[in-house]
Amino acid sequence: MIHHVMGVNGFYPLLMTLWLLPLAGAVLCWTFGPQLKQLAGWLGAATLGTSFVLTLLSWSAATQNSGGALGAHQSLLSWIPGFDFGLLLDPLSLIWTFIITGVGFLIHFYSIGYMHGDKAFARFFAYMNFFVFAMLTLVLSDNFVGLLVGWGLVGLASYFLIGFWFERPSAVAAARKAFVINVVGDVAIMFAIFVIFTKVGALGFGDVFANASQLGDWVFVVCVGLFIGAAAKSAQLPLHTWLPDAMEGPTPVSALIHAATMVTAGVYLIARCAPLWSVSSDAQMLVGTIGALTALVGAILGTAQWDIKRILAYSTMSQIGYMIMGVGVGAFEGGVAHFFTHAFFKAQLFLGSGLIIHALANEQDVRRMGGLMKKMPFAFVAMLTGVLAICGIPGFSGAFSKDAVIYGALAHGHPWLYAIGLITAGITAYYMFRMIFLTFFGSYRGDVDPSELGIRHPELAGTPAHDEHEPHEHDHAPAWIMAVPVGLLIVPTVFAGWLMFGEHSWWSQFFSAQFAPEHTVATPVSDVMTTVFAVAAVLAGFAIAYLRYGAPAAMEHAIERLRTETVRMPGALANALYFDAALDALFVRTSQLLGTLFGRLIDPLVIDGGVREVALSARWLGTLVRSFQTGLVRAYALILVIGVACFVAYYAIAGGVH
Amino acid sequence: MLFALIVLPIVAGFALFALPKTDTRACKAIGVAVALATIAMTLAARNSEQSVRWLSRPFTAAFHVGDSGIGFWIALLLTLCTLCAILASNVPRLRTFIAMLLWLEGTMLGVFLARDLVLFALFWDLMLIPVFLTLVNWGEHPATAWRYFLYNFAGGLTLLLATAAYGILAGTTDVIGASGPHVVGGWVPWIFAGFAFAFLVKTPVFPFHTWMPITYRDTPPPMVAVVGAVQSKAGLYGLIVVAMALLPDYLHAYANVFIVLGVISMLYGAFVALVQSDVKRIVAYSSLSHLGLIVVAIATFNAVALQGAVLYIIAHGLFTAAIFLTLGYVEEREETRSLVRLGGLGAKNPRMAGALCIAALAALGLPGLAGFAGELIIISGIFQSGLIWVSIVALIPIVLAAAYMLRLYQGVMNGPEVADLPERRDLTWIEGLAVAPLIAALVAVGVAPAAILSFDTSAYNVTVPALHTAQVESK
Amino acid sequence: MSALPVSLASYIGLSAVMFFVGVAGVVLRRNPLVMLMSIELMFNAANIVFVAFARAWMHNAGHIFAFLVITVAAAEAAIGLAIVVAVFRSAKNVDVDEVALLKG
Repeated sequence: MIHHVMGVNGFYPLLMTLWLLPLAGAVLCWTFGPQLKQLAGWLGAATLGTSFVLTLLSWSAATQNSGGALGAHQSLLSWIPGFDFGLLLDPLSLIWTFIITGVGFLIHFYSIGYMHGDKAFARFFAYMNFFVFAMLTLVLSDNFVGLLVGWGLVGLASYFLIGFWFERPSAVAAARKAFVINVVGDVAIMFAIFVIFTKVGALGFGDVFANASQLGDWVFVVCVGLFIGAAAKSAQLPLHTWLPDAMEGPTPVSALIHAATMVTAGVYLIARCAPLWSVSSDAQMLVGTIGALTALVGAILGTAQWDIKRILAYSTMSQIGYMIMGVGVGAFEGGVAHFFTHAFFKAQLFLGSGLIIHALANEQDVRRMGGLMKKMPFAFVAMLTGVLAICGIPGFSGAFSKDAVIYGALAHGHPWLYAIGLITAGITAYYMFRMIFLTFFGSYRGDVDPSELGIRHPELAGTPAHDEHEPHEHDHAPAWIMAVPVGLLIVPTVFAGWLMFGEHSWWSQFFSAQFAPEHTVATPVSDVMTTVFAVAAVLAGFAIAYLRYGAPAAMEHAIERLRTETVRMPGALANALYFDAALDALFVRTSQLLGTLFGRLIDPLVIDGGVREVALSARWLGTLVRSFQTGLVRAYALILVIGVACFVAYYAIAGGVH
Repeated sequence: MLFALIVLPIVAGFALFALPKTDTRACKAIGVAVALATIAMTLAARNSEQSVRWLSRPFTAAFHVGDSGIGFWIALLLTLCTLCAILASNVPRLRTFIAMLLWLEGTMLGVFLARDLVLFALFWDLMLIPVFLTLVNWGEHPATAWRYFLYNFAGGLTLLLATAAYGILAGTTDVIGASGPHVVGGWVPWIFAGFAFAFLVKTPVFPFHTWMPITYRDTPPPMVAVVGAVQSKAGLYGLIVVAMALLPDYLHAYANVFIVLGVISMLYGAFVALVQSDVKRIVAYSSLSHLGLIVVAIATFNAVALQGAVLYIIAHGLFTAAIFLTLGYVEEREETRSLVRLGGLGAKNPRMAGALCIAALAALGLPGLAGFAGELIIISGIFQSGLIWVSIVALIPIVLAAAYMLRLYQGVMNGPEVADLPERRDLTWIEGLAVAPLIAALVAVGVAPAAILSFDTSAYNVTVPALHTAQVESK
Repeated sequence: MSALPVSLASYIGLSAVMFFVGVAGVVLRRNPLVMLMSIELMFNAANIVFVAFARAWMHNAGHIFAFLVITVAAAEAAIGLAIVVAVFRSAKNVDVDEVALLKG
């Protein structure tokens, strides 16, 4: 059954502390950055570690279920009359908090090594801690406005961190693009809030869901508004174009914000609003379809990338498409499960790629890698486990959650989405193993002239090396700082999926009180068969990747083959299916054109022109009157006499009439 | 107390001329002391009123000053902005400039604290003079001063005529802050038109806005911080306490005109701000856009929208003043306002970048800061009043605001450092002190806006339908 | 009182003639002194009418106005002559058409 009264009211100091600690860390790192120096990193990581421990300590409070109230609810302050802000920790937000603080801690720890020697080291950790605070605000808020506040603040943190190296024009542009697209999502959520507030008269989750029936037909509008917000934040079509560009940020940022946590906020939002989604089949159809298409498009675009971080970015987009498809069609448990495993294996992949980028002095182009297996065996193992997990090789975490989502689509009556999910799984295997083969197998191509690989503008291919920030040339942080988090992440990357194994898994029990029982339809194929199909698709993808990049024949002529592939890349793929160009032409250029038109034409010519006409007519009148002013006394006298004569004549005639 | 509050800055402005011209430190110190005193007096006099009889024929009028419910907040904003502006002032002929700021403060306090229409109209015209003189003395083009004066004085004239006509019809002008006597007659539409013209020109609203960008461009930053932040609110304040409270039927009847003009201003200003290269013009056009939203809010006759409007009036004042002051520092140091030339200042000036960043974020409606609260409540009210399409269109400028405000911020602070810009030091502590209260207030209002919303909306012929009408059963 | 030995119409006729002679003087002559004298002529035309009507209707107001007009005329002549002298000093000329400083 669904519990509308959300959370057992009470006083939860641990909850407040784990929420506010990262903010305190951010303020400290920001204020005392110059004094703290390298300590800032340790401080930032320590606050998150503490928050993580507090999260574990709050576990029982979050899962308590008494009197129909699920989780812990802490009232905080009254924002405007009649509207209070509070914290809510229930199983759903607990899972997110667990990932945010847990994976966040590992990534912070990793960053101590990765960002070592950067001149804005303390600022980096201030932003990262601030991000965690904002993300916790998002998932812990007990109402829509608080969620929107967190929603906006994570966007801000993401903006700061994408543009962290703000001397680079490309980073600045990417940051602005990410922020503006996210504001599109923010205002859509605002609109949903207006509808909810007007129709229901409350904004707390518990109150709104208990009275969702008052929304009537507006529930679809609310869902669409919320989903536009989710699409902007979670890089769903067609608002995804900012995510690949966001890779301008440092790699730990990509791992934490643009893979593990922030971009999954859309999944959280839809899962949180499950009571609304479950009553609107139109919304389910819409969101499920867009999620599936995003998964497919992300995977297709992932096959055409050369920048290792952009490959991972498109794979993130694709995997979030899965999650959105899952929660969209109503398979909330499955969607959330995929978020859970994805957070581990995608962080793993990003941190692994960070090891490579770090070692190769900021080289991100896979064409200039190759043969790294021998040089970096640890990175190879880390990346390989991540790839096996994301492809859904049975036994690895991704398999359980991805199959749950794909099967969920079928079980909720969407066979087409099921098919797309399976196809995407195959493509995923192809481009992920393509990355593995290009990076770790064959021979090293970093010393080959870029033009031989078909790279015409090395400075434009991928992210340019940022020499002035070169953190690692001179003094390296000890290697274990970066290795330990990656090593620790291998454990959940491999094993986290087993939590979801079986009919009465730990996972479904954990969420038994959170989500209403799902209304499933009879399916022509069982979930076991789904796994078989998925594995078949994955093997097909792997085989193609092996033939094109991994087979000895392909290895031999790797340089020529890469050059050919680069040069012959279809325009649609090279330009990311023209989404950027279309958005640019439709919105950016149109707005600029309107602005120029208004500012250059209407303001000075039409409006000021109109005012000038008024002024000119006054001047004309003045000129006319001026001609009477001859300065001749006798002329004035004559005018006077004529005037008197006129008066006299008038009264003579008028008097005659009377 | 209240009379003293209004007279003190004006007298102090004259008294400054007794000081030697070269003693700028003393001038600034006195200016700061007076501004602090006005803040204290405004706070102390919140609930007091003072009235002295003035005219008894042809209608009764009084020197009646006091808080109209929302005037207090704007007065507080004004005194705070004046304090910050005086702290930030660094122009040639500082003594005269500070005197101008003090006169501006005194006359505008008169506008926002007047409870009598004639007094209101009188101070309305007086508050134009310091700005005009400043434009003449410090502006780049004399034509700007005349443009400012002619537009606003035309408005002042119609305001005065309308006030006189209203007084004759109603028998009294001692009416601000309450819904006054009901006036009828064939002249009333003209009276309403007179008021409306004055208020719309002052705000300004499309198509009366062309005096504004050049005025903001030519006025020295500390003065424009006060003018852009507070003087522009005189029109909106007038719409609320005069059009809404005294002539509700006519505002109702012509609401569509106001809504259309407001919506056009919102979009028009946002689009133009997107492509400007002069940083002050970006802020000027963004002001057009933001204030258009408030005009729409007032015209919807919805209590929630009205509360949001008052909140946004304050929020807009705070972030506009902060942006203008910071941009003033930039201009003072780099001797240019062009985004084409500026760039990369953030690396060497973290404090300046931080101040501009927070102010710009508040302006683009970042959740948690003051601007967001205002926008959210206003558009929520617009939606509630049934204007669903207007509320959707009102969301577009928010997206555009994100684009142009970030363009402004990044264009000045981010990107590679520009070699040919003079390299100057970061904000001094006194310059920082001038912006800090505004930034602090932005955060405070964003986190706890409840106090500003607590005025009585029934005086403006709208009542709050209890923020949670359909109260929740399950509790 | 008996009727006037001379009819009222004769006085008015005389006054009208005097007045138009004065008007013609002002409009046609260019010498400021002559113009001033012509103005005096017009004043006196008015005075004649005042006095004639006062006599005809046996009412003192006319006489009083006549005295007022004489006073004003004297004052006007004084100011006018002063202006003429001042203009003559600077312009060395007493032709009013040459003095057109107020031309717009």
